[in-house]
This record gives sequence, C-alpha cells and structure tokens, in this order.
Amino acid sequence: MEFSVSKSDLVRELGLTQGVVERKTTIPILSNILVETDHDQVWITATDLELGIRCACPARVKKEGAGTIPARKLLDYVRLLPDADVQVKLAENQWASFICGRSRTRIAGMSRESFPELPAMPEVLAEIPLSVLSQMIASTIFAISAEESRFTLNGALLLLKDTGLVMVSTDGHRLALIEKHVALPGLTAVFRALLPRKAMSEIQKLASDDPGKKIEFSGNDNHLFFKIDKRLLLSRKLTGNFPDYERVLPKEHPHTLVLQREEFKSAIERVAQFADERSKAIRMKMLKGELKIYSSGSETGESEETLPVEYSGPEVEIGFNALYLLDFLRSVDQAEVELHFKDANSAGEMRPHGAPAGTIYRYVVMPMRI
Amino acid sequence: MQRLVCHVDMDAFFVSVEELFDPTLKGKPVVVGGQAGQRGVVAAASYAARKYGVHSAMPLRTAARLCPQATFVDGHPARYREYSKKIFAVLNRFSPLVEMASIDEAYVDLTGTERLHGPPLRAGHALHEAICKATSLNCSLGLASSRLVAKVTSDQAKPNGVLYILPGQEARFLAPLDVRKIPGVGRKTEAALRRLGIRYVGDLGKLAESFLASHFGRWGLALAGKARGEDAGGWFDSPIGSHEAAKSISHEHTFGEDTADAVQLETTLTKLSEMVAKRLREHRLYARTIQLKLRDEDFETTTRACTLDHATQLDAQIAAAVIGLFRKAWNGKTPIRLLGVYGGSLQQEEGQMNLLEEPRTARLRQTFRSVDHIRNRFGDASISLAKTLNNGIRERVHENPYDLPGKAPEGK
Repeated sequence: MEFSVSKSDLVRELGLTQGVVERKTTIPILSNILVETDHDQVWITATDLELGIRCACPARVKKEGAGTIPARKLLDYVRLLPDADVQVKLAENQWASFICGRSRTRIAGMSRESFPELPAMPEVLAEIPLSVLSQMIASTIFAISAEESRFTLNGALLLLKDTGLVMVSTDGHRLALIEKHVALPGLTAVFRALLPRKAMSEIQKLASDDPGKKIEFSGNDNHLFFKIDKRLLLSRKLTGNFPDYERVLPKEHPHTLVLQREEFKSAIERVAQFADERSKAIRMKMLKGELKIYSSGSETGESEETLPVEYSGPEVEIGFNALYLLDFLRSVDQAEVELHFKDANSAGEMRPHGAPAGTIYRYVVMPMRI
Repeated sequence: MQRLVCHVDMDAFFVSVEELFDPTLKGKPVVVGGQAGQRGVVAAASYAARKYGVHSAMPLRTAARLCPQATFVDGHPARYREYSKKIFAVLNRFSPLVEMASIDEAYVDLTGTERLHGPPLRAGHALHEAICKATSLNCSLGLASSRLVAKVTSDQAKPNGVLYILPGQEARFLAPLDVRKIPGVGRKTEAALRRLGIRYVGDLGKLAESFLASHFGRWGLALAGKARGEDAGGWFDSPIGSHEAAKSISHEHTFGEDTADAVQLETTLTKLSEMVAKRLREHRLYARTIQLKLRDEDFETTTRACTLDHATQLDAQIAAAVIGLFRKAWNGKTPIRLLGVYGGSLQQEEGQMNLLEEPRTARLRQTFRSVDHIRNRFGDASISLAKTLNNGIRERVHENPYDLPGKAPEGK
C-alpha cells in the first residue's frame, strides 16, 4: 500500500477517531486504526467494539492495500509535521513509513486480519438535521447517569416520531427532555433506541465541523448508524428498559417564577461556594416579590442572594443540588428561564422562557431534603 | 483536683428485672435469652445458674445441658429499657456527667462532688442506696481515679457491693488480677501474653514499655498504661459524657452453627439490615455507604462496600444493597460463621430525593414510621419484613437505649 495525503486532511480525520480508539484496551489491535486505500481516497476506521467510526481522506493512491497503525502515536506524530503532503507506505512486514519534507519515520503496524469487521449500515430510516440532533444532545447529555451499574441510564432515549424527535436522559435525580418538531423525510414508523453517552459526545464532535449538514440515520437490532457525508459513526445500542419518563413528568405546577437566566445563574454560582462540599445543597425561599437563594456550610461560611420576582403565592422553601440547576442554566441560551414548583417534596421544573416554536425543553429536578 | 470515677454495674440485670415481675424466679437458676432447645445465646444468667457454669454469650443449648433444671425466659427488652432509664435518672441526680456504657452499666464522673455527696465511699454508698430504692435492683459500684480501674473495681465488688480504690493504690490493686480482667484483653491477647509468660496484671507492670510495644505495637503501649491503672487507649481515653458523632452503625450475627444455606444467610442479612435501619432512624441519621462483613468457617473475613446514590434509613433499601453485595462476594458454598451489616457515611438529612423512585420511597418512609411506632409499643419482634419472620435472631438487648447519653454507635 502506498499513497500520499495532505497533512491537514489527515490530522482532521485522525482527530475524529481519537475518541473512539481504546486507550487501555486488553485487545492491542483496538489501539490501532485501520487504513484502506480506495481509488482516490483512504478510509480510516477505528472501533472499541462499542463504538465505531469510519471516515475518508482524499489521497493520491499509488498502490492499493490495507493495514493498521497505532492511532495515538500516528496522530501525535503527524500533528507535528509541517503543512505539506505526507507520503505513506506500508511494507509487507507491517512497518508503515512516513515521508514529509525532510522527515522520515517508521511506525510498527499490525496486520489488518485481526481488525474487527464493522457491521454494514442498513437502509436509511430518516434524515435528521445535524444541528438539531447536536442541540438535543447538548440539552440532555449532562443529565445522564455517571453510575455504571445503572446501565439503562448511561445514555439517552432517542425517539423518532412523525411529529419529530424526542430525546430524554435521567440519572434518577433529574430528567432532561427535549422535543423538536421537525420533518423527518423517509421515516415510516416510530423508532425508539437507547443511545450511549459516548456516541452522543462523538456526534457532537462531528457536528462541530459543519452543523448545517444532514445525518442519514439508521438502526438495526443491535446498532445505531449516523452517516454525515462520508463519515459514519456507529454505536451499539444500550439494552434494557428506559424508565417510563412520562410517568414522572410533573403534570402541573401551582407556582411559576420567570427569572433572568444570567442573573439567576450567577447568584447560584456564588451561593454554591458555601454549600456543603459533598451535597452541594442550596436552599431557595420563594417569598412575596422575591426569591432568596442561600446556603450555609458549617466550616466555610454562609451566603445569601435575593432576586426580585413576580410572585404572590405562599412561602415555599426548597433545597436543590446547585450543580443540577447550573447544568441547565449553562445549557440554554434564552435570556429568561421559568422555574415551576409546588413544595419542598415535589419535583421542580425549569424551562427556557420563550423557547422557539417547535421546541419543547423541560428539565425536572428532584429537591433535596435538607 | 483528684479525679473520681464511679462505675455502676447492675447485678444480673435481665434476670433481676424478670424476678421483679415474677418473684417465683427468685433464687432459682434462670436463663434469659430464649428457650432451652433454641439456637441463640444466653443474654444473662442468674447467680444460681452461674454456679452450673452458665454464662452470657453461651449457646442456649449448652446452657440447657449444663443446667437442665433452669427456667428459660425469652426476655422483655422493653422492660429492660424502662429500668435502664430509671437508673439513668438516679445517676443524673448525682452528676451531670453520666455515660451509659450499655443498658445495665454506666460511668458517672463524681470528680469535685465531695462537698455535695461526701467522701468517695459515702457518695458510693448513697448512690447504691438510691438505685436500690428507685428500682429494687441490686448493683455493684467501683470507685477509682480512672474509668478503667473503676470498671475492674465494680467487678471485684460483685455482688451488690461498693469498693473504692485509693488514689495511688491502682497498680497494687490490679497486680494480682488475671490479665483477662483488663477491659480490652480478650482471648487473643490473653493467649499472646501467655506465650510471653504473662498471666497477671502485675507481670505486665514489671515489663518495659518498649518490650510490649515491640510485641503489640500501639496496643502494647496502651496495655502498659492499663496495667498502671490509666485510661490508656481507645474509648477509655475520652472523658465521660463526651459525645462523639457516630461514624457508622452496624449489627453482626454469629451463627450457632456455620451455614451455607443461602436462604438463611439472606434472611439474616435482611434482619441485620432491619436492625441497622431502625437504629439509623432512632439516631435520625441516613447512611450513604452500606458495607457487608462476611466471616467464613476458617475465620477468613471479607468486607464489601457500596455507595448508594442517595442516603437512606429504610430497611428495604439497605437490605437490597447488602444482599447485592453478598451475592457477589459469596461463592455459594463456603459455610459462613458471621455476617455483619454496616451503615456508614452518615448524614443528618436524607439529601437528594429520587425522581424515579420517590413514590415508592415515600410509601416506605411512611411504612417504617408506622413500624417504629408498633415496635416501640409491642417490642421489636412484633413486626418485621416477611423475609425475616421466625429467623431466630433476637433483639440485641445489651445496648444502651438510644435516647440516653452513652456510647455512640460503634465507630469503625
């Protein structure tokens, strides 16, 4: 195998594979990427058996072939090369040589025989605007459970319906739900799957390049496929039952506050400095015309903020984990947010105030008993 | 000022309380803890039964063999608690610094009370009389300059006596006693000391501290101090009445016979979880870490812990966590000797509520609140999780009632 590619093209595509390549794998081949020539391009493939990525890089191919090269070492090296063409040659003995200007390097590769075969992408189910999916991921990814034992919560629920897309995530303490009313050309039936967190963050990386593109989406019994132009990301589905989220969504809230997001966020950030280190508990007291946010740590000190609000309901005091509230406030870009609540023992809910038509974004947070 | 500590130890407490309610038991061999044929251990034995070699912590069946004519009584924990409270009330009249070490044992700091109660022996006598008057129960009192010596002294004063060790005479008093009389010296330490030719406390006192330290480490230094009658090492170091925040709450159970019966083991864990949960609620604490302790027939001890994503004081949640740990830790074959359940990372509030499980948790909270009411009125055995019915594990009656100042739940 022999080809030449531009350094910048190679670095860009290799960069996309880094999140997928296994770092501490017990299977050595998974630390490598598979390189295959194909007429005027080379395919680069990486997988950790849960997730796979395949992307193409334009190249002048002199001699067809395939082989695998350590992914990390390759990117670290190529990144340091000057902006020029890189000539790549893979010898029979699996040594890959790189020539760029006056630099010459050989990297020990491995035979492609033991590199796992990625499943083929089935028929496309729907086309999804990349920007929409990316925004939905940004609105839910932070509420995914970090506890590995709760594997059905280690990802988000993705629903494709005739009315559009729904994504839901929860860690048991809070739940984020976003619904986007978009046309999904090609969709014939409701599709429901659990998308692992790692796949979500890889989609985000693909979107950072050019969010204006469309995703060709597909899925079979075990895998989900996201294809953007020539790049294909595929992920094993999470198995198991996602909780019945509709059951835990509050039906109604007796009280609502509308708050300036930036002001509300800064107030919580300051008060949270004096919250208990472990629990991050802060208290909110809804009084006539004002919202008091306060905390007291027995060792650090105490802090209180008062925000003017339009409120005339009963006095209510609720404890919340400050980090949970901030996660939401940092993920929305509207100037105002709504805070819906009932009492100290019932779930509170936040929503962006004046969300664009066709978007429903709900963030439900369970209080703390403090 | 010369320190004066009084150790009060009730004489055959459980048996004596039983005798108050059933005077026909008086003078007879009585065993409290369960029926003769049952598994389980003796909680207390009357002096008449002790003559046959029956002592507490002995399997009931052994007791029945040694003393077949004894009357076996299940016991009435609620009565014992009631009497414990009466005793505390008396002690509290003599000093504000009272610490119940268990349900029938207390330390009273009498330092500086001479103008009020008279010299040590007179104060001790008055206290002895007052307890007898309030409860009609006998007790033994040890008065000394340290907790440790006071405790050893009350044991020497038994039954129904008052003994005072003059300051400066502690080492001479302890010297002829068996090393086992020192609190904290158990079978293991005794055996180790024997191998070094040490049998009496006096033998210990003759040794250089460095020698003990080289054989027993820090425990050796503490031993040397104890031999001189000092409150050296561990819990004895802390002043009476000082309250340290609980670090963990735990319950253990040793099986009468080692068992590999999965149902019995899990039932026991459930029961222990119930006991831990009950105590968490009594202390108004919530545990975030649940730990399992497993000791097999070869005394091989394993501990496994998990951190919950919320803090709990509910029986069902603790049991679920500990049984999960158990199923991973146990191979399903090795006979088990001892099981323990620990609740750690204690906090005073429940903290983060769960969105998905809250409706169920709310019901459980309500349920166990009612369970506690029922147990407080009718005893711990009156209601339990179905899994633990007829499991044969008895309520631990020896603990200090939770609402009296005393030994905090065992630190790890």
